[in-house]
Amino acid sequence: MNWTEILEFSRGPFFNVALFIFVAGMMYRLVRILLLGWSRDRVPGKGSKLWGSIRSFLKGILILPFIPWVKNTFTKNPITYLAGGIFHLGLFAVIFLGTPHMLVWKSLLGFGWPTLPVPIIDFLAAAAIVAMFALLINRHIHPVMKRITALGDYLNWLLVFLPMVSGYMMTHHLFFRYEVLYSLHMISVNILLIWIPLSRISHFMFYFFSRAIHGAQFGKRAVTP
Amino acid sequence: MVNKTIYEELRSAGYSRRDFMKLCSMVAGAMSLGGVPLFAKSVSVSPEKELTKTVAKALQSNFRVPIIWLEFQDCAGCSEALTRSQSPTLVDLVLNKISIEYHETLSAAAGFQLEANKEHIMEAYAGKYVLVVEGSIPTAEDGLHCTIGGRSALDILHEAAASAGAIIATGNCATFGGIPKAKPNPTAAKGVWEIIKDKAVLNIPGCPAIPEVFTGILSHYLVFGTLPALDSLNRPKTFYGHTIHDRCLRRPFYDAGKFANSFDDFGARNGWCLYKLGCKGPTTYNSCATIKWEAGLSFPIQSGHPCLGCSQPGFWDGGGFYQGQSAPLDRPTATAVGAAAVAGAAIGAGVALNNRGQKRRVQSTENKRAE
Repeated sequence: MNWTEILEFSRGPFFNVALFIFVAGMMYRLVRILLLGWSRDRVPGKGSKLWGSIRSFLKGILILPFIPWVKNTFTKNPITYLAGGIFHLGLFAVIFLGTPHMLVWKSLLGFGWPTLPVPIIDFLAAAAIVAMFALLINRHIHPVMKRITALGDYLNWLLVFLPMVSGYMMTHHLFFRYEVLYSLHMISVNILLIWIPLSRISHFMFYFFSRAIHGAQFGKRAVTP
Repeated sequence: MVNKTIYEELRSAGYSRRDFMKLCSMVAGAMSLGGVPLFAKSVSVSPEKELTKTVAKALQSNFRVPIIWLEFQDCAGCSEALTRSQSPTLVDLVLNKISIEYHETLSAAAGFQLEANKEHIMEAYAGKYVLVVEGSIPTAEDGLHCTIGGRSALDILHEAAASAGAIIATGNCATFGGIPKAKPNPTAAKGVWEIIKDKAVLNIPGCPAIPEVFTGILSHYLVFGTLPALDSLNRPKTFYGHTIHDRCLRRPFYDAGKFANSFDDFGARNGWCLYKLGCKGPTTYNSCATIKWEAGLSFPIQSGHPCLGCSQPGFWDGGGFYQGQSAPLDRPTATAVGAAAVAGAAIGAGVALNNRGQKRRVQSTENKRAE
């Protein structure tokens, strides 16, 4: 089996299987959590739940990341906050605004969108990779983080790190031939896709649920979160 | 004829020594495309000059090498490319004046006469002749999908390969099966190196193979008596060491993120990168971007068309020609994705309901106990 065949396999059948497992797994997780049921919230309504949710999203995504000093999370854990923010920003930019990834979305969804130039994406990707190292070291030396970290967390880190570093090497043609790096990138992406529903990385979906629910609870109580 | 050196052969064909030296420098040029470190290290004069001398010496003393050119499931495109290449002297000298003894399309003779000549060459030059194969070999039903003179391609290939001094597969069909091997591959077509296992088969993939690459390889064989260094797919490293993307003249646009979005937009008219239009340059190993075609005039990407990856194995099934390279090979259908989602949801619901039932049962037993 040569690398061209491995690439064909990892771009073709392996990717499809990984995608199906990812979709099925995420649906499983979602249904399981939704069917856990809701505990009744007996607080008398003072404000709008909907507005609370909207407000929560606006502040959480558009405002607070840019004025971090108002949050306790920042003053107490600046490394987690900054490195985490840079990592997520880089990740989103690469996945949605990198040309090669946009073409993946285009082939899956049927439509595309404008993308950012390679140097910008490249900078953000490099920043995200550096941030990942900062987070790893922080996880390893921070007294609290150390206690709440299990093997699965390191595995999460590794399985996110591999696609990122192989993708970075691929764009720069580092060390190996392109099809080798492309194969490694696709294999690591496929493994990550399978791993996501089994791990805490599924927060990419549940984050929105928890923000909506917390926002609604705060909204009902008419308190500013 | 048999005992003449290549130089004597050319002189008797009416070429002057000056023509001969020109040929030598061209051959040297063709071979040193990727740089020949062996020579560059050992000599103080320019390596090209030294290589020309080596070539001249070799061609003056080496005997001519006959070529048997077999065509199977092909379109004769590689032969066409070779005969119409824009470096006529080199190709003409190397192929017509020096060596070709059997070629179904080019030979003047035909039928039994030609077959008899092939038999004669295979006997007289056993272990010395170069076998060139163009086209894939069908293996289904004992190879009856392609027969020449009543014999199957498989049979002819085995016979010719048995006493060949070197085997060269030219074009994607002969190397990796090419278009005949595309799904569903009704003839079970295979490349030469999948069939001939006991000898090294040099692969010159491409659709068609670049003529200068072919003559370069042949020149190497004429001069050194050996085939050049090969990579894992048996391609000569000199010509297949870099991807099209590495040497592409539109590469700066790729790096700058300037892409043509259609074949007639601002980007396309200004020569921007064709990656979004499905260019396979990043995974395609060939010399198109350096040697180019039509005497270095242009190559597909320069002319505004994305690379199809025609020198890669399975290029015909390697995703849409106009679909971005990074896209998955097969787009999973909405039905399949939907089915996966429904299956996941159903299992989730099943487990959740089961858990609820269990909870209720536990509660009711606890209630009873409390009563």
